[in-house]
Amino acid sequence: MSDRSAAPSRPRGIDPRGPRFAAGITSLLLLVAAFLGLTGLSTSSDLATATVAERFLDPGFLLLLVIALLFLWAVVSPRTAPWGVLYRTLIAPRLGKPTELEDPRPPRFAQGVGLFVVGIGLVLHLFGVPWALPIAAALAFVAAFLNAAFGLCLGCQLYLLLQRVGLVGRERPAAA
Amino acid sequence: MTFVSALIGLALLLTATVAVGVFMQWRQGRPSRHIVHEVVQPQRLGAESIGEFATLLQFSTELCARCPGVHRTLAAIAADHEGVRHLDVDLTNRPDIAKHFHVLQTPTTLVLDGAGVVRTRFGGVPSRDVLELELNRLTGENANV
Repeated sequence: MSDRSAAPSRPRGIDPRGPRFAAGITSLLLLVAAFLGLTGLSTSSDLATATVAERFLDPGFLLLLVIALLFLWAVVSPRTAPWGVLYRTLIAPRLGKPTELEDPRPPRFAQGVGLFVVGIGLVLHLFGVPWALPIAAALAFVAAFLNAAFGLCLGCQLYLLLQRVGLVGRERPAAA
Repeated sequence: MTFVSALIGLALLLTATVAVGVFMQWRQGRPSRHIVHEVVQPQRLGAESIGEFATLLQFSTELCARCPGVHRTLAAIAADHEGVRHLDVDLTNRPDIAKHFHVLQTPTTLVLDGAGVVRTRFGGVPSRDVLELELNRLTGENANV
């Protein structure tokens, strides 16, 4: 026997391999960004004396900015985000049908977390904080790689943690 | 930073990430039995009653990719076993329940015996075989009484 209250207006499920494919590409980009960050301005002693424009034109910054915009795209409009489109047009037709569909909200939430982490790194870098770029890229890489390679959903766990401190989710009276 | 030390840094990052992933996956779905054996009152969770021999108490949230799959597995197990009931509690709007049971990841599954006592806890996706084993243990105990 199984009980569950009917979920109101659940969005249509998506192929769970889509977000994992996108996470794979994202983790590769983040690895390159971490490398550029490590070898670029972020870890050099010239950072303090560089102008904001010079910090902006650092290759590590530019690549991380592109990644941040891709995160933003996936949060605002997940259906048109490039890696998702690439997966649906090129990869999915070559694979079998997915055995089960997934709620599209968790991957979307995770993209928001990625945008947040990468965004902090970008802002700190512009303010001249050393190591901000490679550290932000490395943190986002860990989450993206765990998702792509192991299917572990750090976003889910973070959501629950935030909820326990009362930042997200509405609290209803006990009559649930 | 030089090219070589940056590459070494990336290699360390990759190794650490894989290690974390392997460890987390290893810990997933392993039963833990050294837990507080408290009695669960089904009314507090919004259910009328618990299973005669055992209850699979699943905690989910809306933003949880693996919860629907676990829900199907547990529902199928409950359907196969007489006197076993599956309860799926959505914690999205119930942080009080999450706090009470110290749920830090979803899905989390508790196996209750016939008296409603928490016997086993699974964090993550439990394997069907291990769950069947747990249920057999509980129903076996019951037959001996």
